[in-house]
Amino acid sequence: MKISGSYNLPVAPERAYQILQDPAILAQAMPGCESLEQIGPDEYRMKMKVLLAALSGQFEGKVRIADQAPPTSFRLIVEGSGRIGFLKGDGLLKLSPPDAGAAGLTVVSYEGDAQVGGTMAAVGQRLIDGTAKMMIRKFFDKLASLAG
Amino acid sequence: MATTTTKTETFVGKRIRRREDPRLITGTATYVEDIQMPGMHYAVILRSPHAAARIRSIDTKKAVSAPGVVCVFTGKDTKGVGAVPCGVAMPDLRVPQHTILATERVYFVGHPVAVVVARDRYLARDAADLIEVDYEVLPAVADPEKALAKGAPAVHPQWPDNVAFTYHQDGGNIDKAFAEADVVVKQRIVSQRLVPMAMETRGVVAEWRGADRQLNLYTSTQIPHLVRTIVAAMLGLEENRMRVIAPEVGGGFGSKLNVYAEEALMGYVSMKIQKPVKWIESRRENFTCTIHGRGHVDYYEVAAKRDGTILGIKLKLIQDVGAYHQLLTPLIPQLSVLMMPGLYNTQNIRGDIIGVFTNCVPTDAYRGAGRPEATHGIERMVDILAAELKMDPAEIRLKNFVTKDKFPYPTATGLMYDSGDYATPLKKALDLVGYVKLRQEQADLRKQGKYMGIGISTYGEICAIGPSPATPAGGWESATVKIEPSGKVTILTGACPHGQGEETTFAQIAADELGVGLDDILVIRGDTAVVQYGIGTFGSRATAVGGTALYYALQDLKAKIKKFGEMLLESDDVSLMIGQVIDNKSGKAKTFQEIAGAAYRALKLPPNTEPGLLATRFWEPPNFTFPFGAHIVVTDIDDETGQIKIRRYVAVDDCGNILNPLIVDGQVHGGVAQGLGQALWEQAVYDDNGQLVTGELTDYAVPRAQMMPWIESHHTCTPSPINPLGVKGVGEAGTIGCSPAVVNSVVDALSPLGVRHLDMPLTPEKIWKVVAKKN
Repeated sequence: MKISGSYNLPVAPERAYQILQDPAILAQAMPGCESLEQIGPDEYRMKMKVLLAALSGQFEGKVRIADQAPPTSFRLIVEGSGRIGFLKGDGLLKLSPPDAGAAGLTVVSYEGDAQVGGTMAAVGQRLIDGTAKMMIRKFFDKLASLAG
Repeated sequence: MATTTTKTETFVGKRIRRREDPRLITGTATYVEDIQMPGMHYAVILRSPHAAARIRSIDTKKAVSAPGVVCVFTGKDTKGVGAVPCGVAMPDLRVPQHTILATERVYFVGHPVAVVVARDRYLARDAADLIEVDYEVLPAVADPEKALAKGAPAVHPQWPDNVAFTYHQDGGNIDKAFAEADVVVKQRIVSQRLVPMAMETRGVVAEWRGADRQLNLYTSTQIPHLVRTIVAAMLGLEENRMRVIAPEVGGGFGSKLNVYAEEALMGYVSMKIQKPVKWIESRRENFTCTIHGRGHVDYYEVAAKRDGTILGIKLKLIQDVGAYHQLLTPLIPQLSVLMMPGLYNTQNIRGDIIGVFTNCVPTDAYRGAGRPEATHGIERMVDILAAELKMDPAEIRLKNFVTKDKFPYPTATGLMYDSGDYATPLKKALDLVGYVKLRQEQADLRKQGKYMGIGISTYGEICAIGPSPATPAGGWESATVKIEPSGKVTILTGACPHGQGEETTFAQIAADELGVGLDDILVIRGDTAVVQYGIGTFGSRATAVGGTALYYALQDLKAKIKKFGEMLLESDDVSLMIGQVIDNKSGKAKTFQEIAGAAYRALKLPPNTEPGLLATRFWEPPNFTFPFGAHIVVTDIDDETGQIKIRRYVAVDDCGNILNPLIVDGQVHGGVAQGLGQALWEQAVYDDNGQLVTGELTDYAVPRAQMMPWIESHHTCTPSPINPLGVKGVGEAGTIGCSPAVVNSVVDALSPLGVRHLDMPLTPEKIWKVVAKKN
């Protein structure tokens, strides 16, 4: 499954880059995130609860940040599994000032691939796309509210 | 005191209501799930979420210490248990070691990895989530054609080409036929993967009685005796120390014509924990780990003369095997090749099968098993040929049928069609549907831009499976008939049913032979400790083979009854009728009760006669039977929504003599429902990573009652000369006849748009896209 989109964060790119890698803020912003702890340089262990239609379950996984080019881009690699299946994702996040050049604003554009398996894939396939979009929007909304 | 009723009325051929139905429709029947035992434990199986992965490690510590959990077993524990067998022997068959739990690798989503045993099934389920499996995910391949491509991931590393087996069959002179042809039509035809979807999922209760050294295995199966032989061997247990009971079986359709890992696994668990253990497959498990059906990609070529005479047929068949061979996996596409010529008089064929491993659950027998695929292929090709030659599809069929003076008819594939009259059901169906008028109406509708189609399929099939040389485990069937001392009649049949109604039809046969009432007869099946060895119910064989064994056992028993009658009546000229033996000279009679009483009391015996009234027969059929028929489907297509409406469904089936028209109707209706499912709605879809994305009934469109058309079911009758009952079999006919009739109808409707072929399922989306693109 391809995932792509963009979101306007109400902070400058440097600040945006910083909060996008701050475990404390990310843990608050990610829907269903129950814990996010650093286990190595640029590597985190994550616990989160996922709700997908009639399915719900806890996921445990790892988040890794790679190809860092502050404050313009980094790559996010996510791997998790739990009772309702597993998910794997790999995406590139690009941060740039808006075309109009408004100060204190960052356009975060993201593009990546996600793969789900197990019960989630067997049962929730039709809903995964919509759920992923919804979770991403919730994430950025929350991040925006925490960023200020 | 119980008495045996004597009846002058006969039962064979009548619409007798099924004697098994009251308990089924009142929910009082006993299925595996209904079995309760003191000390029962419950098993939940952890399955792979990956289609291909290496297992780095399995950590069961948390699960073992979870509340209620007794133990957890993994592939390391069960290494001593024998592999799940493939029952088919072929020269170049590649058989991967199919352990009951995964050891180093997993090969498909749903592959069993560990089993949790607890005192409560919910605690077992919760504990399964606590098992930590470290997988190294590997690339997977789910599409058989992609699996054959160079560089495809190897399902089994030892066979990088993913070829599981090949099979080749030539008949006549195919090259000459194609060289002499005026026209050759070619088409790629897909028969998609289907989920058999028995209403009752699989389930096993295993009860090890250590003190008796006895394993009782209750399992929802079509083949209890074969399960006993095979599972006992897998467990290293003497076969006579194992008893398999198939209680009520809620549908199988071939999916329970198998021996599954879970059957041996539960036996293993019960022997380990010394307690009874129950495993009931969930619906989601059923989707991922019970065999699928079909899974063909067929490349057809048909050579013909300009007048429509078919000269030869070529088929290259790619069979999606899945990750393993189950019991009969490699045999199923061979049935397709055997059935390639359909009802047509051509002596030139070439069939090539490539069985391909994929990271999917194995395919195996599903209602029709190979014959629906073959019939779909040849019936589509005949329509494509008719369109190419601008011939009427009914006319081209009538032109090519094997004519009724040619039977027994040897086919190019080595079969001997027993009896047939193929034109009669087609003509009857054409009359019933009003073919000529419909074609006129179609022409008028086309002028108005409306899409109406008429689809014909004239199918043949291979039933009464089958002579032992042609079946992996023997093709005979057994029956025992006993007349108890009270005169009551007990039948033991090896043809263990799963919805076929043998408690009714077998009682009808016995009632007429003995002249007793149906209520005097009990039909027992599905218990290896009670019933002599049997093969089981599949391949439309129960009545034709099992019923025949019963018929011959009844003849033996009647001879013995007569002997006792002669002795008691002091006559050498007696007849057996309406539940008594009558002296033809004096008219004096002895009832069955009197005869049974004398036979068991044994104060005096006829010469060379043993006490008791019991007869057993194992009957080996000399040939298959070959039923046939014609289905015609009239469809109207809504060009705005792509919805297909079936206006008429006319089925004229010839299954030989009919013992119970009510049961035959039921078989036709059920068969058509599953044929329509394939034609219009159902498809098991794996994504590129081998994830089954149609894993629940919300995504897998099995037909519901309100989706069914009215089926106009009719018959012609051409008795089989193979058995004394003259029956052929009807369990799969509906499915086999259906799908090509539906697709031919829809393609006919859309032919003004230049449509020549469409692959199943014909979903509204698919049809709408075709119509929208052309408009």
